[in-house]
Amino acid sequence: MNNQKKRNFKIEAFKQRVVVDPKYADKTWKILEHAIHEIYNHNASGLSFEELYRNAYNMVLHKFGDKLYGELVTTMTSHLKEISKSIEAAQGGLFLEELNRKWNDHNKALQMIRDILMYMDRTYIPSTHKTPVHELGLNLWKDYIIHSSKIQTRFLNTLLELVHKERTGEVINRGLMRNIIKMLMDLGSSVYQEDFEKPFLEVSAEFYKGESQKFIECCDCGEYLKKAERRLNEEMERVTHYLDVKSETKITYVVEKEMIANHMLRLVHMENSGLVNMLLDDRYGDMGRMYNLFRRVPIGLSSIREVMTSHLRETGKQLVTDPERLKDPVEFVQRLLDEKDKYDNIISSAFNNDKTFQNALNSSFEYFINLNPRSPEFISLFVDDKLRKGLKGVSEEDVETILDKVMMLFRYLQEKDVFEKYYKQHLAKRLLSGKTVSDDAERSLIVKLKTECGYQFTSKLEGMFTDMKTSQDTMQDFYAHHPELGDSRTLVVQVLTTGSWPTQPGVTCNLPAEMSALCEKFRSHYLGTHTGRRLSWQTNMGTADIKTVFGKGQKHELNVSTYQMCVLMLFNNADRLNYKEIEQATGIPAPDLKRCLQSLACVKGKNVLRKEPMSKDIGEDDAFFVNDKFSSKFYKVKIGTVVAQKESEPEKQETRQRVEEDRKPQIEAAIVRIMKSRRVLDHNNIITEVTKQLQSRFLANPTEIKKRIESLIERDFLERDNVDRKLYRYLA
Amino acid sequence: MPRASKRKSSAPPNPSPSPVKSSAALPGKTKTAKGSDRVENMFYKYANDGIIDPDGIMTLCEDLKMEHTDIRILMLAWKLKAAKLGYFTQDEWKTGLKTLQVDTLTKLRKAVSELEKEVNTSSNLLEFYSFAFRYHLTEERQKNVDMETSCELLNLILGSEYRSQVDLLINYLKIQSDFKVINLDQWVGFLRFFEEISFPDLENYDDTQAWPTILDNFVEWLKEKRR
Repeated sequence: MNNQKKRNFKIEAFKQRVVVDPKYADKTWKILEHAIHEIYNHNASGLSFEELYRNAYNMVLHKFGDKLYGELVTTMTSHLKEISKSIEAAQGGLFLEELNRKWNDHNKALQMIRDILMYMDRTYIPSTHKTPVHELGLNLWKDYIIHSSKIQTRFLNTLLELVHKERTGEVINRGLMRNIIKMLMDLGSSVYQEDFEKPFLEVSAEFYKGESQKFIECCDCGEYLKKAERRLNEEMERVTHYLDVKSETKITYVVEKEMIANHMLRLVHMENSGLVNMLLDDRYGDMGRMYNLFRRVPIGLSSIREVMTSHLRETGKQLVTDPERLKDPVEFVQRLLDEKDKYDNIISSAFNNDKTFQNALNSSFEYFINLNPRSPEFISLFVDDKLRKGLKGVSEEDVETILDKVMMLFRYLQEKDVFEKYYKQHLAKRLLSGKTVSDDAERSLIVKLKTECGYQFTSKLEGMFTDMKTSQDTMQDFYAHHPELGDSRTLVVQVLTTGSWPTQPGVTCNLPAEMSALCEKFRSHYLGTHTGRRLSWQTNMGTADIKTVFGKGQKHELNVSTYQMCVLMLFNNADRLNYKEIEQATGIPAPDLKRCLQSLACVKGKNVLRKEPMSKDIGEDDAFFVNDKFSSKFYKVKIGTVVAQKESEPEKQETRQRVEEDRKPQIEAAIVRIMKSRRVLDHNNIITEVTKQLQSRFLANPTEIKKRIESLIERDFLERDNVDRKLYRYLA
Repeated sequence: MPRASKRKSSAPPNPSPSPVKSSAALPGKTKTAKGSDRVENMFYKYANDGIIDPDGIMTLCEDLKMEHTDIRILMLAWKLKAAKLGYFTQDEWKTGLKTLQVDTLTKLRKAVSELEKEVNTSSNLLEFYSFAFRYHLTEERQKNVDMETSCELLNLILGSEYRSQVDLLINYLKIQSDFKVINLDQWVGFLRFFEEISFPDLENYDDTQAWPTILDNFVEWLKEKRR
């Protein structure tokens, strides 16, 4: 390229003469100083940014950075001192406003100054590690204004006073507060914390300590909680409006501590308005508030839970041991269900469905339900009542709900095997008397029990249902094979498999001739198709419907038990019979016969027989006649007593004894099972393991387990170790 | 030692066939042969139909100058490892006397007198004590000893060592009605009880531990009595 040195027409930048003239620096600075002054005096409009920038730039370039920086500090400092004086002079409420105004001014000024001195900020300052201009401005402000001895205290007090005013209900200038607080935050988080937040928190603590003391003396629990909640919300709102968001947890902590934590126990236990009263009156709102407030403080919820638990246990204990309540088992159980419902509602509405509360509820129920050894019996009676009549007309859904609730109570029982025994008895009576309101409900409950306790628990119960069904088929078959009996189905037989039904002592009585022939026919028919089986008539469990005509022509159909039928049929052939004759003719065992005669002769409205003498008790020499004067509004009269009832004391003892006897083989089976797999085990562990295995049925008594172990040792199933007598060994 | 009743129905165990021995046996074995001869002769002195029966034992006791109820006779039975109450078989006699290293009546008398010392060392005591129980199981497959006999045995064997405990226990056993017989497990339990539990305070007894329930009941009874 033929590019010789062309003489380009250059436009050169206007260069200042590079003179290292000490006066140069001063002169330049003077310009800048003047500018700063003007800026502070709100006269910036007349300044040329470009020129000032250039001046600053040159100073730095010519190595006058030190001077520039130093003079800057001096100038700003003197301006701030001025400002400080004017703030100090402000009176009363204007103090803060003046401060705020001056701060805004300072910020604007600082921005402009920074812009002018940008080059210094970018080059000189990093290399000398000095504070950048903006930060420098803030620091100077902090040092000469905020921390000025004449301002500092007054400043803090003003702020705190305003907060206090607001707390006592006055309206304050929130915008101003916000700005001031923002200023502190801009100055640095430590400034905010030291110069405001810390004292703020201290003063707040004092305030709330006093306030809570005042309230706790004059308010009841519910009111107090409302006030505490209000204050808490207030503080949170204050933070959103004009404080640093990080202060929220700190101030709420203060309120929680002073208003809630310090008075927690007093609140919970407050007479007439504390937690117990809230529980009794179902005050969901108050309890919910208590829950929400207390969950904020340590051990808050556990305090509530403890009081609830002990109250519930006390209430429950009274419920189950109150002799009045124990008179009616159905009422007893209903009351338990109501109590459970109540607390379920409380926990879901007020306690946020908190699982720990649910657990406390469960453990309390488990505790007091088992205080009464008759609970299993009563629950079975309740179910019996429902299945007989209580569930009549109830929708399927509601039936399920009721049964589910009963299952919940069942789960709390420790002696589930006792329940099983009673349930079986009651079920037997229901099935045999045909008195169940809904087959579906019966089956549904069995399924629930099976899910809860396993197959073994319900296999026998299911067997009972099967027997009933099979018996129906058997009857069909019987009548089909005996057409000579015509259409009148006088005999209905239920064939019960011995193992499935509750054991009854095998007694028979002498059936009237009309019956026994028919019974024989059935027996031979049945045994014809089922060889190898044995049938025995359970005359203490049957019922009969007898058509009767009394002396004055009254016609009635009597529903009686088999025993009663045997007695009554005798009067077809005799007008008068004494006790001994009846006993001999029927062969009914004495205690049953006495009860039977009582129900026929001594009960008002059901006295189809007359007795001489007219006493309530049956004597050996009593004489019986048909009561010709018998009358009843109804054609059909029910006299039989086959309804399940609360057991009498001797019956209860007997059942309890049978349950204990049944437990022994179960305990032994558990011991053998465990030892077979473990081979060698020490005493304490056996007890623990056995108890655990049997837990779903009953609570095993350690002494009883020990006795069973000794019995097994004697029968050479186990042996004690020779050296360590605490160890047992399985003998194969 | 309680006198065993004569059981005509149960046949005594078969006596082992008597070995034919001649005095003119191998030289060098003369002493032993003579010794075992003497042992054998002693046996035949008391034996009846090849076995020492209760009558024979009575005679033996007279010769030993001890009552037949003397505990040392029971100890002798233990040393002989006698299987059946009231009888010593020839084998038991021979082996037993060999262990005792006696072959004359005098030596036997001396040895028996010293048995007491031997038994009272703790390791032997348990063995002897258990033996005493098993020795009194007269029927085949019998597991228990009746209460009266058990009490007598307790008194006889442990009475000297644990006087007050034994007295109290026997007292209790006689008045309680839960148990009519004692089994081996309970029997051994009694000795361990006396050995381990501090008396009379019973401080270290823990009824949740593996003590037989009869002892739990005993301790409860004692505590009731104290109140």
